Amino acid sequence: MYDTIVIGAGLSGMLAAIGRAERGEKVLVLAKGHGATHWSTGCIDLLADVDDPLAGIAQLAIQRPHHPYALAGPAMIEQGIARVRTIGEAADYPFAGNLNRNLLLPTALGALRPTAFAPATMIAGDARQLRDGRPTLIAGFAELRDFFPPLIAANLRAQGIAAEAAQLALPPTQRQHDFSSVTLARLCEQPAFRANLGEQLAAHVRKGGYARIGLPAILGLRHATAVVRDLQNRAGALIFEIPTLPVSVAGMRLYQILEDELLRLGGRIQLGGFVQRAEHIGDTLVAVFSEAAAREQRHTARHWVLATGGILGGGVRATPEGYLYETALALPLQTPDGRAGWFAPRFLDEHGHPVFQSGVRVDQRLRPLDAAGRLVYENVQVVGGALAGYDPIREGCLEGAAIATGWAAGQA
Amino acid sequence: MQTLSTDVLVIGGGATGTGCALDLAMRGIRCILVEKGDITHGTTGRYHGLLHSGGRYVTKDPQSATECAHENAILRRIMPHCIEQTSGFFVITPWDDESYGDVFVTNCHRTGVPVQEISVAEMLRREPALNPRISRVFEVHDGSADSFLATHSVALAAREYGAEIRTYHNVVELVRVGDRVVGAIVEDLRSGERIRIDCTYVLNAAGAWAGKIAAMAGVTVTVVPGKGTMVAMNHRMVNTVVNRCKLPSDGDIIVPIHTVAVIGTTDVHVPDPDVFGIEPEEIQFMLDEGEKLIPGFRQYRALRAWAGVRPLYKDKDVASDRDIPRTFKLLDHEERDGVSGILSIVGGKWTTYRLMAEQTVNELARRLGNTQPCRTASEVLPVPRFEHRAHAMVTVSPDPAAQTPHYWLGKPLALVESEHAAGDLICECELVTRDRIIAAIDAGAHNLDDIRRDVRMGMGPCQGGWCIYRTANLLYERRCADGLSHTHANEAMLHFLQERWKGLTPVLWGDQLRQARLDELIYAGVLGIHRLRALAEPGGGLVTQHPAIATEYVQA
Ligand SMILES: Cc1cc2nc3c(=O)[nH]c(=O)nc-3n(C[C@H](O)[C@H](O)[C@H](O)COP(=O)(O)OP(=O)(O)OC[C@H]3O[C@@H](n4cnc5c(N)ncnc54)[C@H](O)[C@@H]3O)c2cc1C
Ligand SMILES: Cc1cc2nc3c(=O)[nH]c(=O)nc-3n(C[C@H](O)[C@H](O)[C@H](O)COP(=O)(O)OP(=O)(O)OC[C@H]3O[C@@H](n4cnc5c(N)ncnc54)[C@H](O)[C@@H]3O)c2cc1C
Repeated sequence: MYDTIVIGAGLSGMLAAIGRAERGEKVLVLAKGHGATHWSTGCIDLLADVDDPLAGIAQLAIQRPHHPYALAGPAMIEQGIARVRTIGEAADYPFAGNLNRNLLLPTALGALRPTAFAPATMIAGDARQLRDGRPTLIAGFAELRDFFPPLIAANLRAQGIAAEAAQLALPPTQRQHDFSSVTLARLCEQPAFRANLGEQLAAHVRKGGYARIGLPAILGLRHATAVVRDLQNRAGALIFEIPTLPVSVAGMRLYQILEDELLRLGGRIQLGGFVQRAEHIGDTLVAVFSEAAAREQRHTARHWVLATGGILGGGVRATPEGYLYETALALPLQTPDGRAGWFAPRFLDEHGHPVFQSGVRVDQRLRPLDAAGRLVYENVQVVGGALAGYDPIREGCLEGAAIATGWAAGQA
Repeated sequence: MQTLSTDVLVIGGGATGTGCALDLAMRGIRCILVEKGDITHGTTGRYHGLLHSGGRYVTKDPQSATECAHENAILRRIMPHCIEQTSGFFVITPWDDESYGDVFVTNCHRTGVPVQEISVAEMLRREPALNPRISRVFEVHDGSADSFLATHSVALAAREYGAEIRTYHNVVELVRVGDRVVGAIVEDLRSGERIRIDCTYVLNAAGAWAGKIAAMAGVTVTVVPGKGTMVAMNHRMVNTVVNRCKLPSDGDIIVPIHTVAVIGTTDVHVPDPDVFGIEPEEIQFMLDEGEKLIPGFRQYRALRAWAGVRPLYKDKDVASDRDIPRTFKLLDHEERDGVSGILSIVGGKWTTYRLMAEQTVNELARRLGNTQPCRTASEVLPVPRFEHRAHAMVTVSPDPAAQTPHYWLGKPLALVESEHAAGDLICECELVTRDRIIAAIDAGAHNLDDIRRDVRMGMGPCQGGWCIYRTANLLYERRCADGLSHTHANEAMLHFLQERWKGLTPVLWGDQLRQARLDELIYAGVLGIHRLRALAEPGGGLVTQHPAIATEYVQA
């Protein structure tokens, strides 16, 4: 019997688990697989399209009292982020940034994306510095199909940044083919590979006088900060990473430092189990059943955190007939009425697609409510993407809302 | 205005028009083909994928049945790389009239459609997913056919014989002198420039749009646009085409093609071939019909839905739309309407395109005093360079054993593995390598949707999640020296994302809904493409926006 079982191994679930483990609870994270961290940028988005995220969040909380930020409250946002940052510091993977001012970091298309905190390996790419007139090089490898320097550089130039593009020669390696972001990240941790890379970068700097070099976010898995530091010394220029398409190396690192921390605190993680039904006595959840390799396993705990990530995470699914359901505990959902209202006609509609705001409605303590507003389980809390009434991708608060609600569930 | 001149101006780059251009060119007749979109932009690129045995028409439309049976054998010979030898079943399910079985067999014999009854046990041995409650099974020579590749192969052959093919050229006016059509004004959609093409004959092969072209010459051709919707499922539950053995109806055929099985179709009359939508009821109906053939059909992942419009020609003397024959008709407007210099070829099927072209060009050749015979039934078609070599090999290999009857994703996979090209897979779902994308770009693709039609990029389960980004970048790198700028590349990406989205919304549930959300995370989240909207504009030789090729979306 655990004190707390967290269902879902995304950012929100990991924060809740760390919070509870820290208070001495016996904690298990139970999940089918990794969460959206592995697909995303590895940065911490608080709120996009505002200059001051914290002020924006305060406003939002007034306008939308059911928004996860409003439920978690400003203290949990600040504490949760502070906690992630101390974990990063301790792991030599620090996050830089500010609650009151968004950074603007280049994407793998050369768009400038607001985010509140980024790993130190990306920070030199902030557009405010890139616009100082000194030349920037965007460099990649022809072998990596998830990063194309020429278009990035052209789009940056169109936004007032003196950027140029170059393709690097892949340093000699045992590998012959299929260079994914993850394989390149492992190679970057080999000194010989890095030395060759550093020489090439230094040659570009000598020729082009670049002040900064943007590279795909493949610069190491476990020791990225050291890899970047080493390459900067060799190249004689600042280096910044740019997140690539999934699987995201920077996202994996963020997950990894949280996993290490949870294990250090005595928590356990069990991946590969899909929770598919629950057992309860009245409004108390007693056990869940997970399925792995066609074998059912029963798990019991006093307290539960549902962190299954909504439609993206697989926590909410839709049937062909147009019915949405919560996959783990069969909790009631708040959804748009009728399939006709699920989607906007344009894929990139600025308001997003209503169906993706489907999720679980909760009370002030993040406990699930039914359509009539009645409490469903007194010992369950719902966090992150599984919550109803917001669109974390379009609002640019994917990580922020996950951290805030996850941390809140870790405290109460 | 630039003026060109030719013997025959063919309007329409579908199977029919392209087939006519090849036949004309083979016989040494000069011709220019103009198509307002890409090759297969019309119904040919939105059909069901069935190489008809003729079985479907044996009762209601015997002439079509005989034509299909005849052409079926020819197409297998001239385009083996486009056809899968799937064979086909007509099955009687508990929902069908038992007595039609004997009628069906009699009518097959009468129309020359080869047929053989097999036992239900044999059927289940070959296709275990089929409903065991099926009572009778008749096997026919159905196949599945890639109309994109087929039409490109025909166009390639036509070019080799000297035909000029101009895509993204929209006919805006026919030039008439007295009672004679002498040419056309055509808009190049890439530049907006207008060109005049003088010709001895205009051949109207505009399919469902033939009425609109005829109207430009002042004559009335009634084409009733009948919309049909299809759904691609991400699984080949069967390797054989499966038809319900009954009079043709909705949702009664499942065609295995490439990596998917396609169920269709419906028949809804629409006011205009450019104005139609896919209704949720159509999708639900087809899933229900699919269940009758394959129990559990609903549980498979649906990939995408699309719709095409049938070019049904309604003769002046046909009373009801239901009685319109499915066969084709060559209209001589001089005799019919007193306007010379223009012929229209209307109706028909993809399966009969070659025969339609043969009869049309026989008539044109006679009038032009050309005595060359038709050779399209015997010359094997070339394989475009962007086609996967593993498939292309099927055609060149003289060894019948090397000609696997089925599309088999394992074949390109084996090649990719043997060449260590996995890192070069730009579209991982459909195993499309960098080389093939570049070959399609070099062959003149005008946007990402053209590349999609060429190589199937973006047609797999992720519907472009990764490959749209990669392909747009390859396009930019390949073409930036000749004037394609970052703004055009950005626009190409935004355009194609929307193109994929419109066919996805009708089937978004289960894993496909989750996938759509992941694609949104990639493009709106990780890449922030919407932030580049101000840096996107049409141009650079790409056509991404034009009213002439936009399908208007109508919500029910
Ligand atoms: C739902 C559905 C399923 C089908 N399934 C099958 C099947 O499984 N097997 C089969 O054999 N047949 C099938 N058919 C029939 C077959 O698809 C069509 O008969 C065939 O594709 C018609 O080819 P086409 O060249 O005549 O017309 P299209 O392919 O429509 O070509 C006409 C072209 O003319 C162009 N055009 C129009 N106006 C202009 C202009 N002003 N200037 C320039 N160009 C212009 C259009 O863009 C279009 O590309 C199906 C049809 C439908 C609707
Ligand atoms: C033989 C065959 C096999 C195929 N196999 C696959 C496959 O395996 N995987 C796959 O993904 N696809 C497959 N397709 C379908 C293909 O991807 C395209 O859907 C098809 O070629 C039609 O193009 P389209 O989607 O642009 O069609 P359209 O008919 O233009 O679009 C489909 C729908 O979108 C609506 N629409 C049009 N414009 C808009 C707009 N601006 N906004 C909103 N909605 C709009 C239309 O009204 C229609 O309902 C196959 C097609 C064929 C012919």
